[in-house]
Amino acid sequence: MSITSDTLDVENNPTQSNKTLGFEFRGDGMEYFKIWIVNILLTIVTLGIYSAWAKVRNNRYFYSNLYLDNDNFRYLADPITILKGRLIALAALIAYYVASIFFPIVAVVLAITLFFAIPYFINQSVAFTNRMSSYKNIQFRFEGSYGQAFMVIYIWPILGMLTLGILYPLALLKANEYFVRNSSYGTSHFDFNATYKDYGMIFLTALGIALAVGVPVALITYFVPALGVISPLLFIVMYFALIVYALVSFTNLFYASLSLVEHKFEANLTITAQAKVILINLLLTIITLGLYLPAAKVRMTKYICSCLTLHASGSLDNFSAAEKENISALGEEFGQVFDFA
Amino acid sequence: MLIEGIYLDGKTSKRHTARLEVNNDHRVTHIHLAEQQQILSFEHQHYVVESRLGNTPREISFDDDQLFVCDNHDEIDKLISWQTSRSSNQHSWLHRLENNFKLICVSTIVTAILLYGMVIYGIPSTAKVMAHNVPNFTSAQLVSSLDILDKTVFEASRLPPERQQEIRDLMEPYLSSFKSLQPKLVFRSGMKANALALPNGVIVFTDDFVNLTQANDELIAVLFHELGHLTHKHMTQRVIQDAMLTIMVVFITGDVETFDLVTGLPTLLLDLAYSREFEIEADTYALTLLDKHNIPLHSFADAMTNLENYYLKESEGKNNSSMNDFFSTHPKTAERIKLVEQFKN
Repeated sequence: MSITSDTLDVENNPTQSNKTLGFEFRGDGMEYFKIWIVNILLTIVTLGIYSAWAKVRNNRYFYSNLYLDNDNFRYLADPITILKGRLIALAALIAYYVASIFFPIVAVVLAITLFFAIPYFINQSVAFTNRMSSYKNIQFRFEGSYGQAFMVIYIWPILGMLTLGILYPLALLKANEYFVRNSSYGTSHFDFNATYKDYGMIFLTALGIALAVGVPVALITYFVPALGVISPLLFIVMYFALIVYALVSFTNLFYASLSLVEHKFEANLTITAQAKVILINLLLTIITLGLYLPAAKVRMTKYICSCLTLHASGSLDNFSAAEKENISALGEEFGQVFDFA
Repeated sequence: MLIEGIYLDGKTSKRHTARLEVNNDHRVTHIHLAEQQQILSFEHQHYVVESRLGNTPREISFDDDQLFVCDNHDEIDKLISWQTSRSSNQHSWLHRLENNFKLICVSTIVTAILLYGMVIYGIPSTAKVMAHNVPNFTSAQLVSSLDILDKTVFEASRLPPERQQEIRDLMEPYLSSFKSLQPKLVFRSGMKANALALPNGVIVFTDDFVNLTQANDELIAVLFHELGHLTHKHMTQRVIQDAMLTIMVVFITGDVETFDLVTGLPTLLLDLAYSREFEIEADTYALTLLDKHNIPLHSFADAMTNLENYYLKESEGKNNSSMNDFFSTHPKTAERIKLVEQFKN
């Protein structure tokens, strides 16, 4: 970081140092609904071509409404870039389907090629997303390596499976480490500091809850079949609770482990509040046959952002921009069409 | 005209309180930085006024990533309306569209109708056309061939060879009139009572199924049902429909990753609805054939009733919720028997 006149500013304003800044999402469900429905209509009318513009408008809405310290984030992607990526990815998907019908062998070769290409595309995809995100007019960056990406996408998860899940928390940790440590805000790198124990505890607790609820319910159902009627219901509730528990714990752990130079992050999601948001969203979305979907996304984003804070050590004015670079949207769009990103 | 806002130079993250100056020719000329008492000139520079999106801050971007941000929508809208550049004007109609209450209501309805039409008519009929135009040999290689099933689920049939031969002889006259489908009858066990048609023309009867039928006519009725699936290329259609549905969902909700449960459920239900549609089509086909060969129509209803009784017995003791019907790939037996009644008339 450059030590220029900016540092003087900090000294001039001692109130600026060491303050806690909350993230805030200022979007509105009804407002987003209008944007969303127009997007869908135009996407259908243009037979999917508009979907690239729709994506930019959706993302712009969510980025531009996200505030930290009274400054908003921005989404910078050009729809044409996304359209190109989408068309190429779609052509590849159709080619893959056709090939798998006509020449199964070619399909096998293509599948193997795709397998090895996925880490590359994921790197490209993250690089594109970061590069297209900016805060205070400084872009984010990502510089991954193929080898490391291959490790966190395939090798670590496979090791996790081979060890019957014992190494699985480590796989998750390694993945987060990889994506965070190679990301930067301008020229400043993010860091991620969590331990195997942190992740392991979440897995163990989830397993504990599953056993503590699952075993008695199974036993009761076995010995008192009359109560068997409610056991699927109990399992659904437990399953939901576990998902929310995992979501909340992993999010909190992620932000607690995240730092940007000397600035630290914190997330305080709670299980009850998160469960309430998910249940309300689910209920309203089903009742409105999906029309509530955009408002649900706003509610979810609002809740998560309201739980995020940045413990800024000093001013946030001293970040400087990285050099320019160009990345196509191909990786990102490949990921969406082939469903791996 | 002067517009109050914030200036960011794109090199550092420091924000500057700024004032944007617009001259009488409606061009942005200067940015005044109050704290630095500095004036930046943009007189001959190219700049882009970003389109309005909800209530998000307005942005004007200049060369070298310089950016002016403000909340003054009225002034910026005025600036846009003066712009000669088409790209900015293009987007203002989007904002008008997004804020016109009547248009929103109309779009919601039009979107719902278009989506409904696409899902109910568009996708199935496109899949039908495509399935019938895919060369025959290809469907032989499509998914779930008998080999895979043999390795995974099926076991050899335990029916006495005489019984197997008896059924083959029974079916032969009917199968011979479907040479183009290359139908081939096989017997397997390892699965509960079921009959299935694989895309390459193989029709599988499981032992349990053969045993539960009470008359040979019932076997023929079910054979006709499976021939219906083959004639209509249902398996191929389903693969194509699933692919199209996936692409549609990706395009419409591609940006809503957090709602897999919400988007996944309708996709699953649609797939099941399509599947039930195929069953009804195959049922109708079977009834037509039965009628043609002067076999009593009730043999189809009997087969369905026997099948249902078998499954009721199987699931005895376990609680079988009505949820299963909702999530079933096949129509309810009562509905299928009703179809027979309707067909008779």
